[in-house]
Amino acid sequence: MNTEPFNDRNVNELSAYYYVDIENYPVTAWDKFKQVVKRSLKGELFVGLWVVLREMIKFDIHTVQYPKEKLPIGPRYRAVHKLLRLWESGFERCIGCGLCEKICISDCIRMDTRIDENSRKEVTEYSINLGRCIFCGYCAEVCPELAIVHGGRYENASEQRAHFVIKDDMLTPLDFLTAGQQEEYPGFGAITPHEDERVTKTPLAY
Amino acid sequence: MINFTINNQPVTAVKGETILQAARKAGFYIPTMCYLEKTMPCASCRLCVVETNVTDGFILSCQTPPTQGLAVTIDSDRLQTERTNIMRMYDVNHPLECGVCDKSGACDLQNKTLEFHIDAQHFTAKEQPRKIEHWGLINYDPSLCILCEKCVHVCNEIIGDDAITLQFGGYKSAVIPKNSEKLDCTFCGECIAVCPVGALVSSDFQYSANSWELSPVPATCAHCSAGCSLTYEVKHTSIATGSEERIYRVTNNFEYATLCGAGRFGFDYDIQASKDEAAFNKAVSALGNAKAIRFSSLITNEEALILQRLKETLGLKLFNEEARAYQSFMRAYGSISGKGAFGGTLDAISQSDAIIVLGGRITTDNPVVRYAMTTAARHNGAKVIYMHPIEDALLQNVVTQFVKYEAGSEEGVMAMLAKTLLADADIGDEFRAFFDGLDEGYLCAESNAGDEEFVRIEKSLRRAKRKTLVIGSDVLNHGRAENIARLAALIETYTDFSLVVVPQTANTIGVSLVCDLDRDENTAGVVGYNAEGEFVIGSFGNYDLAVPALNSQEGTFVSINHQVLPINVAIGFEGYCLNDIANALGLRRVNTVDYTALLPKEKGFNATPFDQLENFYGSLGEDNRGYMLENSEVEVNGTLETIETLPEFNGTVIYRCNPVNQFNAYTGRTAQLERDPALRGSAQFAAAARISDGDQVEIESNGTVHVRTFILDGELKGTIALSPTYDTEFGAMGENYRFEKIKIMRVGS
Repeated sequence: MNTEPFNDRNVNELSAYYYVDIENYPVTAWDKFKQVVKRSLKGELFVGLWVVLREMIKFDIHTVQYPKEKLPIGPRYRAVHKLLRLWESGFERCIGCGLCEKICISDCIRMDTRIDENSRKEVTEYSINLGRCIFCGYCAEVCPELAIVHGGRYENASEQRAHFVIKDDMLTPLDFLTAGQQEEYPGFGAITPHEDERVTKTPLAY
Repeated sequence: MINFTINNQPVTAVKGETILQAARKAGFYIPTMCYLEKTMPCASCRLCVVETNVTDGFILSCQTPPTQGLAVTIDSDRLQTERTNIMRMYDVNHPLECGVCDKSGACDLQNKTLEFHIDAQHFTAKEQPRKIEHWGLINYDPSLCILCEKCVHVCNEIIGDDAITLQFGGYKSAVIPKNSEKLDCTFCGECIAVCPVGALVSSDFQYSANSWELSPVPATCAHCSAGCSLTYEVKHTSIATGSEERIYRVTNNFEYATLCGAGRFGFDYDIQASKDEAAFNKAVSALGNAKAIRFSSLITNEEALILQRLKETLGLKLFNEEARAYQSFMRAYGSISGKGAFGGTLDAISQSDAIIVLGGRITTDNPVVRYAMTTAARHNGAKVIYMHPIEDALLQNVVTQFVKYEAGSEEGVMAMLAKTLLADADIGDEFRAFFDGLDEGYLCAESNAGDEEFVRIEKSLRRAKRKTLVIGSDVLNHGRAENIARLAALIETYTDFSLVVVPQTANTIGVSLVCDLDRDENTAGVVGYNAEGEFVIGSFGNYDLAVPALNSQEGTFVSINHQVLPINVAIGFEGYCLNDIANALGLRRVNTVDYTALLPKEKGFNATPFDQLENFYGSLGEDNRGYMLENSEVEVNGTLETIETLPEFNGTVIYRCNPVNQFNAYTGRTAQLERDPALRGSAQFAAAARISDGDQVEIESNGTVHVRTFILDGELKGTIALSPTYDTEFGAMGENYRFEKIKIMRVGS
């Protein structure tokens, strides 16, 4: 773009600057009255109103009908956590290693674990205090099992400051899983694409 | 002193030290995986290899002593490769379950794997079928086991159970119970403590918490007089907000100290109470109107001092027959030896090469004395002579000579023993005349300990250099305890024996030093403090006002080593404590531990305030726990009394003695320790008492009747049955002689 015409700040033939045509301000009361009447009754108001009316008749409305309708959230958005299940067996992915609890910088995750009948570690309770959670995503990033992820649920309105989600709120329901509705999480803390190709397998040559 | 060099730096070692020990002292780092300071080298990990200028190959620094002028290299490239390869082998097929493993975060294998940058497995090995074993309090996962053998060594050399062994089979090797299907041991849990990985774990703790979530509270075990160091590990009970804390497990510094099962598994004896003002006011008025306080020795020195101050301000009497018996025993001891306290320690026992134990079932009274004896037997080949009316199966691997005497004849046995040990000593004419005047024939015949036994004792002690005499608590409550004490003092004073007296309760020594005790006259108006009384203040038994248990208190104990050891609050307590009552009665101290600095100086306490007491072992095993009592000097004016006619215990006789890992009312209410309050006796006893296995029997002693189940125990011999006391109301062993003739009958007959 040629910026030459803008360099000369004087108003003349060559410069891009010119005086805006502004009417003189009314001075007498009668002149002021005339200006108000002229502006009010000119009909410009109806130009705008016509646009609204035209779009209304066309029934092509772009307003998102929140809360009935919600905008899709980007996959890397960090909202309320979810606990996922293994695809094949339906077992919980969480092994109760406690790393999320340890790494949580706002100290809002707690879990109870125990030894179950099969001598395996079982997570009996799991809770996140959403009143304290800052949604930093460290828990999802540190999780070695991709068990805890951030979901898309962002409404956190609550009657109390200390608002907890417990395991049942976060864990994928089994019918959800069988219906194939559990979504693998591609966002924060997920394995990078093509990870399979980079894995070196333990030699099992026997 | 041996001078040698490590990496060209001059290092000195004392005789008997290995290269590894000298290197660690000098601040050099040599990695190890199987090394345990308190056992002999396992030499299984081979990580501690070093190079020297006089050997071609590598040598193991953990078991090789340095020679003068040796040049040792500990970190060449060759060594680094060797060690890295060893770590690679350790990691082959090691389950990648750090995420759930209890050891994660405190795991030697994890640390060393990271240290040597092992990030991939390049070897292959066919994984063997391995089953997780459940051995009661202990779970064993063979696939996590790295076969370092620490557990086997500690079980054999220190504990003496010899309950586990290594099943050799190359890659199939595993730790298995020795000579039995199931693990049959005293469940000290020391194998759990030393396990560098998560193979041996406490079944109660497993998968309930991670090591980094637990906050450690260093304290001292409150169960017996050994005063072992332990760490309570505390965490909230559940995820619920406001949930209370609880103790998840107890750990110890296994490198330099040992802990028995009661300390390790019997930790959840705390009680909870709120500030019940009505009960508090009753307690204050009860104490204000009381004539005496009866208390047990299961209290801290500070509480004992508060009781002593209450005695002084309110003019009360203090009753504690068990501590009074110890007091008079030690007074009699001092009248000969000139010292206020016996000279032996647990370390002295473990370094001995000859040990005589008389009058106490040491394995259950004080397991740490037993561990010290095992250590002495295994490391120094010590001769262990056990003198008791009842043989102890747990000591059979250690004892070289068992001398059985009749119950009640301790005075005679002690006199014979003193005569044997003092045969060549210069004890002066008066004492010599006493021993010359002994009626040996009568004593040997009545005590049933033949003179050939004493000849054998004399023979086996001839070569010994460091000798210890351990006196058990049977003797403390014996009618002739004072004369026995004088005999023991003679042995300690005129021979190279050191003496250890095993008191009955955790803080008997402390109480006996702090309190002026009165003879218990069973008067009216007695307030009990953890003991029987018209109004009972306590943390066990039927108390009217709850005070904190010993894991909810700050304070100090005096251990058998005469060391003043701090205890700490693991679990908070909301109610009142003795100090609050004392303050209401006119004493003025904000906290109980304000009394720590006021403990009597003339008894050897120094004025260190509680907050300045340390409680840890240094990295080289330096004992930084509390402080040592100073041994006071007392006047020597004692003479021996003539041996009285030995009493006879015929018919049905019981011996008050708790089962393994049970000591008092505290251990009796913990969740993990086995409770089996049965009367145990041999077939001979059953025949004499006309009862049989499994019978409910009524035992009448001192006018009170207990009902117990009788169990026929094949390991027992003789006519004396073992009767536990931990499950009685206050769990105390009692002030009477531990052998007792009783009336016994089957319930319903």
